[in-house]
Amino acid sequence: MSVAAHEEQDVLLPRSRDEAIAAFGTGAGITVLGGGTILMPELSAGRLKPDRVLMLARAGLDEIRENGTSLVIGAGVRLADLGDAPEPLATAVRRVGDPEIRNQATIGGNLCASPGPDFPRGDLQAPLIALGATVRSAGSGGERSEPVEDFVTGDPSARLVLELEVPTGRWGASASVRRPHAHAYTILAVSASMATDGSDLRLAVTGAGPHAARLRSVEEGGLAGADPERALNDIQPVDDALASAWYRQKMLPVLVARALSELKEPA
Amino acid sequence: MNLTINGAEYELSSPPLATLLFALREEVGITGPKAGCNQGGCGACTVLLEGEPVRACLMPLAAVDGASITTVEGLGQPERLSTVQAAFHQEYGSQCGFCTPGMITATHALLERTPSPTRSDIEEALSGHVCRCTGYVKIIQAVEAAARGEVAEESALPGLADAQPGQPDVVIPGSPA
Amino acid sequence: MKAVGARLPRYDGVAHVTGRTAFVDDVRVPDMLWAKALRSPVHHAGIVRLDTSKAEAMAGVHAVVTYKDVPRNVYGHLEALGIPGDEPLLAEDDVRYKGQPIAVVAAESEEAAQAAVEAIELELDERPALFDIRKAADPDAPKIHHWGNWYPHFEAEMDRRQIRKGDIDKAFDEADTIVSGVYRPAAIEHCPLEPQTALVVPEASGRLTIYSCTQALYFSMGVVAAHLEWPLNKLKFVGGTVGGGFGGKVDTATETVTSLLALKSGRPVKWRWTREEEFLCSSTRAPWHMEISDAVTKDGWILGRRMLTLHDSGAYARFSPYGVTKHSFHHTGAYTIPNLHFDGYVVFTNRVPTTAMRGFGVTSVSFATEVHVSRTAQVLGIDPFEFRLRNANRIGDTSPNGISYTDPSTVPTILAIAEAIGHELPAEYRTMSRVPRAAELLPEHLTAQVGSTEAH
Repeated sequence: MSVAAHEEQDVLLPRSRDEAIAAFGTGAGITVLGGGTILMPELSAGRLKPDRVLMLARAGLDEIRENGTSLVIGAGVRLADLGDAPEPLATAVRRVGDPEIRNQATIGGNLCASPGPDFPRGDLQAPLIALGATVRSAGSGGERSEPVEDFVTGDPSARLVLELEVPTGRWGASASVRRPHAHAYTILAVSASMATDGSDLRLAVTGAGPHAARLRSVEEGGLAGADPERALNDIQPVDDALASAWYRQKMLPVLVARALSELKEPA
Repeated sequence: MNLTINGAEYELSSPPLATLLFALREEVGITGPKAGCNQGGCGACTVLLEGEPVRACLMPLAAVDGASITTVEGLGQPERLSTVQAAFHQEYGSQCGFCTPGMITATHALLERTPSPTRSDIEEALSGHVCRCTGYVKIIQAVEAAARGEVAEESALPGLADAQPGQPDVVIPGSPA
Repeated sequence: MKAVGARLPRYDGVAHVTGRTAFVDDVRVPDMLWAKALRSPVHHAGIVRLDTSKAEAMAGVHAVVTYKDVPRNVYGHLEALGIPGDEPLLAEDDVRYKGQPIAVVAAESEEAAQAAVEAIELELDERPALFDIRKAADPDAPKIHHWGNWYPHFEAEMDRRQIRKGDIDKAFDEADTIVSGVYRPAAIEHCPLEPQTALVVPEASGRLTIYSCTQALYFSMGVVAAHLEWPLNKLKFVGGTVGGGFGGKVDTATETVTSLLALKSGRPVKWRWTREEEFLCSSTRAPWHMEISDAVTKDGWILGRRMLTLHDSGAYARFSPYGVTKHSFHHTGAYTIPNLHFDGYVVFTNRVPTTAMRGFGVTSVSFATEVHVSRTAQVLGIDPFEFRLRNANRIGDTSPNGISYTDPSTVPTILAIAEAIGHELPAEYRTMSRVPRAAELLPEHLTAQVGSTEAH
């Protein structure tokens, strides 16, 4: 239903990583379009009228390569191509949208998704945080790498995500509250991951705030001493269209306990 | 911008951020893919992009410049239905017909990569396709029939003159014979 | 009868599976304009000022219509059934639900139309809103409809649909137990895959060709003709395949406005609702509030039913008085209850007006009756099949509104179900049939009451 009046908009279609970085500049006045699954409805309905749109469809950011102990995933990699990603990322990927959405949506787009008006978005942030992933981005001050949990607390619109580096060879688990059908927004989901020797426990949650949050208070106990109740120290849940803050506070320790239990004894 | 649609070449003048759905329906006049929600949530706009099913209402035109698109019109015609189309017709997998182009398109893609899908495969492949009329049972039966190749030749579908009454599962005493 | 139960191909099946079926949005004509609506952003307000001049002056805009352009703005779709009109096609003095259409623009593109909508100046004086039908009668409830907070124009100007049958007080006195329940089914959005769409072409002859997604072609033709004050023969309705309706495409929500735009602009106009408009502004199945109290004997007879129904009509009456009437006729469901006291109210709220949806008026009370019957059987400790069979309607019993049943299938159906699932029944029940009147099975003192009614 989009209509023929986008003539005022500048559409940039870089053909390489370097061109994309140059076109992005500092990100001022630029709206980045990955797969389009989140942005296109806004453009079509006229709710968003960006001046300059940077489309990444041809920027060559869609490669996956192995790098010793990690997987380097380009920002433009489609979710459909992440079936073999490390857990708990692969499970979270399979639950995004539906098969056609996953044929279009990109991991970079999901990482940078702003919160929905009434529901959480960006479900892949938490598994990436749990895995200890880092994100390489360009923007003001040049390229830099940083942990995903730092990236999401900053302003994603000021950075052009180039790729994610995701450690492999770890154990992963997740537990969630969600309706079991396609297009179900996740009410609450906990991602957990640790090294195979039981060290370096990391947990993160989706749906308890505007972006994913790391559950350091639970991690401090280590796998043996982790206290699920302490997860409440790390979050500020709100009421939204899916559930109340109260409900999320009740469910979070339950999900943390389940995720930890699965890490200890994988099904 | 250039697109190959159902095997034919087109040069399009719609803006780069117009959706593929808009270009197909409003510029080219291919109306098989439908605008059910314009948000990617219903599946009625599904087309094949290089053989893979995507939501035309979410696809900016500039992203598919030079690509090959197949819509339901390209999968079969009234004079020569595809096996999937014939199966949907035979198994009554369609009532109002609005979701049908999307269902058929997604089913073609499914059977191309998974010729013998389980019920779970079928449900997963069609999980993003909403049907408000049928309750999905006959749609799934149609996909299963297509996968098994159990589709009557078009000429074998009976007309009224040859109709044979069916047998009900439960007979209410006192019903007319 | 050889077609019944036979497997015949759908006549539209081949068109459906090849994407050839033409829905309204698939129809294209040259020089088409596109429509977008200005809708109320609030639930209840007076319209202080409406100024469309800036919108009309914008490039690409060919027409803007408001209530001033509608020859007959208020028309009751069911005036032929005695239900007077209360709903304006386009809002005039006030708005009573969020999403109510106020003005509609026709322009060269949907984006140009939307930009023009945003340029319309609207000043509203917001008023308190009512959402809970149970509070409509409170002394401090806001007054939200010019007729009062519930519909007052049933026959003889009654403010409710009323059924009285037999002697309800006696039934309640003689009951062994009273079983009460409250049932509150929620609103349901029809959500057809095809959003409502109309395309109107002004012909050189002065007629209009209207491509409509209506479920009721001739009905919608009458609605458009009434609003335009035109004879029917000036309209050519082209209907056909409806992309799902389920009762929600009888309201004729797009055809008249689109016709006015086509007349005013002299160009074909297409108005298609977005999915957001469908969810937020289109009519839904009504929410209901039903209170049922049944007077029952310990051996499983329902002697009497007291029932109060509140139906949420939304901001205007639309078809609700008709829905509540049907509801009242069926309020005992598949069972014959000799003593009845029913009151049903069509209550207004500041919600989107409600409308028909599959089984309009009756599905609500069927649900409530069946659940209530199951609960009653449980309370009495009686097998639910036996309880139903005992009270099931028979040939010659009368419905709540006094219609004599000539062919009720309740008893044979329940017996067939019991057999199909292997539910054992005592011989007395297995041999029940619908032929004896329920009177022959009732306690003597109630026998005379079966078949008499004073329904209004």
